[in-house]
Amino acid sequence: MTVSERRAAAPARGRRGPLVRRARAVFDAVEHLAGGVGTGVLALAALAWLLLVGLLCLTGVGLLLTRTVPRVVRIVAERERGRLSRWGPDELFGAGRPADGLRPALADPVVRRELRWLAVHATFGWIVGLIGLTFALHAVQDMTYPAWWRILPPDEATPTLVPWTVQSERDAVGVAIFGAGLAVLFVAVGPALARLQAWPGRRLLAPPADMDLSLRIAQLSATRAAALDAHATELRRIERSLHDGAQNRLVAVTVLLGATRRALARDPAKAEGMLEQAQDAAEQALAELRTVVRSILPPVLEGRGLAGALSGLAADCAVPCDVDVDVPGRCAVSVEATAYFVTAEALTNIAKHSRARRASVTARRDADVLTLRIEDDGVGGADGRGGTGLSGIRSRIAALDGRLAVTSPPGGPTIIEVELPCGL
Amino acid sequence: MRIVTAEDDFLLREGVALLLRAESLDVVATTENAEAFLAAVDEHEPDVAIVDVRMPPTHTDEGIKAAVEARRRHPGLAVLVLSAYVEQSFANELLASGAERLGYLLKERVGRVEQFLDALYRVAEGGTAIDPDVVTQLLTRSRPGSGLERLTARERDVLALMAEGLGNAAIAERLVVTEGAVHKHIRNIFAKLDLAPTDRADRRVAAVLRYLDETGQRV
Repeated sequence: MTVSERRAAAPARGRRGPLVRRARAVFDAVEHLAGGVGTGVLALAALAWLLLVGLLCLTGVGLLLTRTVPRVVRIVAERERGRLSRWGPDELFGAGRPADGLRPALADPVVRRELRWLAVHATFGWIVGLIGLTFALHAVQDMTYPAWWRILPPDEATPTLVPWTVQSERDAVGVAIFGAGLAVLFVAVGPALARLQAWPGRRLLAPPADMDLSLRIAQLSATRAAALDAHATELRRIERSLHDGAQNRLVAVTVLLGATRRALARDPAKAEGMLEQAQDAAEQALAELRTVVRSILPPVLEGRGLAGALSGLAADCAVPCDVDVDVPGRCAVSVEATAYFVTAEALTNIAKHSRARRASVTARRDADVLTLRIEDDGVGGADGRGGTGLSGIRSRIAALDGRLAVTSPPGGPTIIEVELPCGL
Repeated sequence: MRIVTAEDDFLLREGVALLLRAESLDVVATTENAEAFLAAVDEHEPDVAIVDVRMPPTHTDEGIKAAVEARRRHPGLAVLVLSAYVEQSFANELLASGAERLGYLLKERVGRVEQFLDALYRVAEGGTAIDPDVVTQLLTRSRPGSGLERLTARERDVLALMAEGLGNAAIAERLVVTEGAVHKHIRNIFAKLDLAPTDRADRRVAAVLRYLDETGQRV
């Protein structure tokens, strides 16, 4: 679920064009390379510990320490998993505590893959990082060289990586040009270097293919938490709207009726106005109850199915909207309701923000997956992460174990795609 | 009687003010949040303040806090707290500073105008008005084995009305008995529950509520 969101959010970020995006990629690369060097050094330390324990085993003392090795490796691996998950787009779920004792731990494919990763990252990983960072550092140093080379002692004016000694302004400018070359090189290959450095981790620290179940369990725990969250938020919203709306209106009705009864005894002329107010309040209470009921589960879904309900939404939308629904049979109530609310929210956003001239809603059912696509020809730039409307939608979708992707580059078009498993 | 009200719902605020003014009561200020309410109380020094419990910004217990604060700042002020639902813990919070000049009622009781005015005057004159719902909550929660089991049905009725803050005469009127009979019932109740007898209604309320609260908590 989060994977496609992150991917979708990336283009929206570069709203100011390719240059800003490129600059961001370069800074990200520096950050990732440096982070990689950090975990690389940790990996090196862990590797050194492993070798030391191995050596001590020859004398017998090491045998007592073997059980620490999987744990130390796991700590470093978890750091790398955390780092790569923050970077995205794929999330690497933590593996918890390794089994106690060396033999059971080594029987675990996750531990064996971590050891392979450790060997690669403790050597190749941090060296790649250092090479990349050296390029970046020297690019900056050399480009600014003309500004400060004169304060260096003459025999030390020989920048590294540059084959000549600097004796004149011309030489210094040469260094700056060389530095610019390094910068161009880094812009070109820096992000690729960072990806290269992360690649072993992404491959080996992800659960092995036949271990997909444990990943699935982790995901299910996460979505179950999201479901409970969404449920609690929903109940709170309903409680609030009933309490602040209908209940208060009804109290007002009783207060006004009480006042009317007193007035009837004293000044019947006043009573008419009060009754009018009481009736108004009662009607408002009814209207608010209707709104709350509709927001819990739209009755139209029950009566006319998803196709009818979505057509109704499109007809109410201020922007002309085509609806194409081909969903044979019925899906679970919660799935249909979520599809309905996602569409309602999306169409509201289109009407409010997009300045679109046309919109379209497509719903398809492919085996057990309901796919929903809402598209407009507006200005784009919708931030999939900001905004309160979409975040409620997001947790509803996550609760159903579905996926949401929002693509909305500056200039449009905005496309919202939702996949919901409907064989619940 | 000069009154300041605090209620965030527009319709209800106006409704209550309309009702009070129709009874020739002097509503000197209507406010919509705790801050404005406290300022108005400071400014007008009313006889009675009528406060809603849930108000902005958090819509939880702003009214309770404001009521406690107003009572602290103006010891002579009578406060009537209105709420969409009554919660015995809120009642305890309010009663912590004494039952005198204190009321805690469900909002819709305002519609029963005679009883509401009765509670309002009682509170303004130094008494107490606790919603029957709070008392019911306390009575249903009391554990078997408490002194309550020794009370007769009629004595339980009297106890409930006492806990609401009614005086002997009012209890007699509600139960359609003589005041002397009520007096006898009350003496019996206090003896059976082992409480020190007192005729002052507000002390009685505090004692009875505390007793009920304790029997409710004992396991």
